[in-house]
Amino acid sequence: MTERASLEPGAVSPEGAGSPLLSVENLSVSYAATRAVRDVSFQLHDGEFVGLLGESGSGKTTLGNALLRLLPPPGRISEGRVMWWGSARTGEAREGPEPHRAGRDLTTIGQEDLRRLRWREMSTVFQSSMNSLNPVLTIETQFRDVIEEHTAMRGAPARQRIGQLLEMVMLDPSYMRFYPHELSGGMKQRVALALALALRPRFVLLDEPTTGLDVIVQRSILDNVRALQREQGFAVLLISHDLGTVMEVSDRVMVMYAGKIVEDQRASTMIAEPMHPYTRGLLGAYADPRAREVEIAYIPGRPPDLSRPGQRGCLFAPRCQEAIDVCRAEEPVLSAMGQGEAACHVAEAAYAAGDGRRDQSARAGEVFTAPAGRTDRGPRVERRQEVLAVAGVHKRYRSRRGLKVTEVDAVQDVSFVLRAGTVTALVGQSGSGKTTLARMVTGVERPDTGSVTFGELRVDRLRGRGLKAYRRHVQLVFQDPFAALNPAHTIGYTLSRPLINHQDVTGAALRPAIEELLERVGLSPASTYIEKYPHQLSGGQQQRVVVARALAPDPEIIVADEPISMLDVSIRAEILELLDTLVRERGIAMLYITHDLLSARVLADEVLVLHNGKLVESGATLEVIRGARDAYTRQLLDAIPNPFATRRG
Amino acid sequence: MSTPIGQVAKPIDSEPAPGDVAAAVRRSRLPSWVVILWANRKSRIGLIMLGLFIFVAVFAPLLATHDPKVTDFAQSLPPGGAHPLGTTASGQDILSQLVYGARTSIVVGLVAGTVVTFIALLVGLTAGYLQGWVDEVLSFLINLALVVPVLPLMITIAAYSPVRGLFLIIFVISITGWAWGARVKRAQILTLRSRDYITAARFAGEGRLRIIFAEIMPNMMSLVVAGFLGAAAGAIGAEAGLEFLGLGDPTTVSWGTMLYWANNSGAMLTGQWIWLGAPGLAIALLLSSLTLINFGVDALSNPHLRER
Repeated sequence: MTERASLEPGAVSPEGAGSPLLSVENLSVSYAATRAVRDVSFQLHDGEFVGLLGESGSGKTTLGNALLRLLPPPGRISEGRVMWWGSARTGEAREGPEPHRAGRDLTTIGQEDLRRLRWREMSTVFQSSMNSLNPVLTIETQFRDVIEEHTAMRGAPARQRIGQLLEMVMLDPSYMRFYPHELSGGMKQRVALALALALRPRFVLLDEPTTGLDVIVQRSILDNVRALQREQGFAVLLISHDLGTVMEVSDRVMVMYAGKIVEDQRASTMIAEPMHPYTRGLLGAYADPRAREVEIAYIPGRPPDLSRPGQRGCLFAPRCQEAIDVCRAEEPVLSAMGQGEAACHVAEAAYAAGDGRRDQSARAGEVFTAPAGRTDRGPRVERRQEVLAVAGVHKRYRSRRGLKVTEVDAVQDVSFVLRAGTVTALVGQSGSGKTTLARMVTGVERPDTGSVTFGELRVDRLRGRGLKAYRRHVQLVFQDPFAALNPAHTIGYTLSRPLINHQDVTGAALRPAIEELLERVGLSPASTYIEKYPHQLSGGQQQRVVVARALAPDPEIIVADEPISMLDVSIRAEILELLDTLVRERGIAMLYITHDLLSARVLADEVLVLHNGKLVESGATLEVIRGARDAYTRQLLDAIPNPFATRRG
Repeated sequence: MSTPIGQVAKPIDSEPAPGDVAAAVRRSRLPSWVVILWANRKSRIGLIMLGLFIFVAVFAPLLATHDPKVTDFAQSLPPGGAHPLGTTASGQDILSQLVYGARTSIVVGLVAGTVVTFIALLVGLTAGYLQGWVDEVLSFLINLALVVPVLPLMITIAAYSPVRGLFLIIFVISITGWAWGARVKRAQILTLRSRDYITAARFAGEGRLRIIFAEIMPNMMSLVVAGFLGAAAGAIGAEAGLEFLGLGDPTTVSWGTMLYWANNSGAMLTGQWIWLGAPGLAIALLLSSLTLINFGVDALSNPHLRER
């Protein structure tokens, strides 16, 4: 397949150059009463790299699944068509001039036709490829399944082709004898990608292909995809909630909100001139951590419930800073304006009046600022009281596999202190020993050598009752708030337990104490939350409850393990702001574990960079981030998705 | 974050609509489990059927037209007249026997079901939560109980026991029936004990017992209830089976003994199919009612499912 010429900027509009590869026409998808995708139309051209961006529940995955007809029941396409314009190739006749392009409606063709089309013409990489590879088959067998089903290739040539495919995703061909569990998460994702490209499809759907992977691995996989796409010329639809990543790799970005596409424009112009207020809000969540002043914004409120009938007007209006009267009465339609398309009355009016510029800064919404120095936030770091000291700890894990015993040094000679009212960020990729250190601080794990001291208390020697008493002083904030709240209990019950156990609050005093906790984490009026179950709250609210529970025993130390990585981009800053306020006001020492240097830059006073169990760099946040000396720290910094940085080739 | 195909979606970040059932639970003065089960159509039918059986059992003396043990009537009467289902070969009223027989089955189902569930919970939860050598020992016991052929063991114990009667049968069923439940509960607690919210409970200062019974148990309530219903159904079947084999007390009135006497008197040969069919159908219907209720128990431990 020859490389296709990259598209002109003008080709973005649907009426532009050439015929599309895939066109979606007024597509609606519903799950029972919920209209997850509402009247979506767009086109995808040969060789185009398009990003589809949206928060959880925006309908982006549903849309992706609908394109491939993979909707799980009770989801169904209620309206519209998905036209596939790739010619219906038969046999091996892949080369030569293309015959007339006959459009086929993917929503109506038979299962057998669909089966032939899938993988050969259109393939996909799912979010959790860890689970999409069959654990009982070797990598080679899984490739053979695909290749032998769709082509006449057998035996040695097939094997050779598999080797090529693995090399293409930068894996050694010898990995083909391995089973999925023998590969790391990033490797499995690469295998899934190679598998999707095995038959040279014309269209690849990538559904959050790097979610859950480390920043560095994520970066290298996306760079790989981008390079392959340039080389082989397939079209990509990249579904993601991470605007930074999407902006960096895509030619064109579509933003989805509440089941509709609200903005569609080229990535390069979107950064300079986002049209929809929602896009502006999302862009506000990104910044360069190396800048002198960093401010990140969030969009207050949350998405609407699409199962509720009779909602009028623009569904973003309740969260919109720029909303005008017409927004509440009439739902805007996606129409051409500026450099692309948007569905927004305000933007439309602005473009009608002039060049579309609006007065408000791109960082509409609430802003959370991290100034260059932290001097305005109370006394200097050095003068704060030391709460917990970790001195020269080592931890070695042994694991037995077959006859071999392997030893892993999880943590080697790490020392640091936690101070009251100070956030210490522990940065590093998975496997760097972050979690082991956090477990030592909480007393769950003991170091082989070295000590962990809390005041006079040797945490590394605690057991049984002593450990239980120590937990009053150290509390956890978890990564996944949904998993951290017992689904069978109400919020009120969950918060009452630490109060009863650690603070001896009982009887009539309990309810006011719970309400106070809820108010303190910004859930007000508190009385409306007490009776609710966790699943009735949004992700951001759940995380606030988790924080409230951690505050209940009035702890000296809070260990926060990636508290924002599972949350939507638009609300991350909100949780960071909450943590920041609590730490400063209540003088809590926080150990903030993350792989995200931007959030560390905004929240933390000190940064510890951990690599393979060793502390490679530490110091005041600004010094470490702006003057990174260690190669690994710089690698981490480079891996941060940043739409404002110059785009990579 | 979007959900991959084939997985249960986490609640999305949107304004949740007030759930119908959840709201009904809050409004109602009935115990919440009744409201939750009632919301499911199949389990509603099951509840009604079970309710009818319990009603018959409780008010048996009022509903039965005759004393079930009296042998004063003409033998082997066909259905009709004073005896709507006819009489037995020894001159008892079949309908009255059927009505009183419900008592035995309900009592056996309830008591044996409770005892079996209790043993299974105790063994399963302890083994799964404590792990280590306690788990090794208890798992060994569970596996031992699983491989013992239950029916021959039941027959042997029942046949050699010096006493006969209902409570022997309940005892036999209980000590042979707990192993599966224990095994399932142990497996479930193994997955639940490593959840984040259990770690969180530990940091909230909860003790071991509270973690097991207040944090973990509510999340396996559907398993416990399903286990109870299964054990009750098994016990009712086993009781009827043992009595049919003549290992119960033949002088009591139950559906099992009815089948035993019908079989012994050659009811099929004399054309008295109702004598054999009526208790059989009653057992089948009672077991069906328990199975139907089982359809609704998933919602018990998952508040999210109540909102459909």
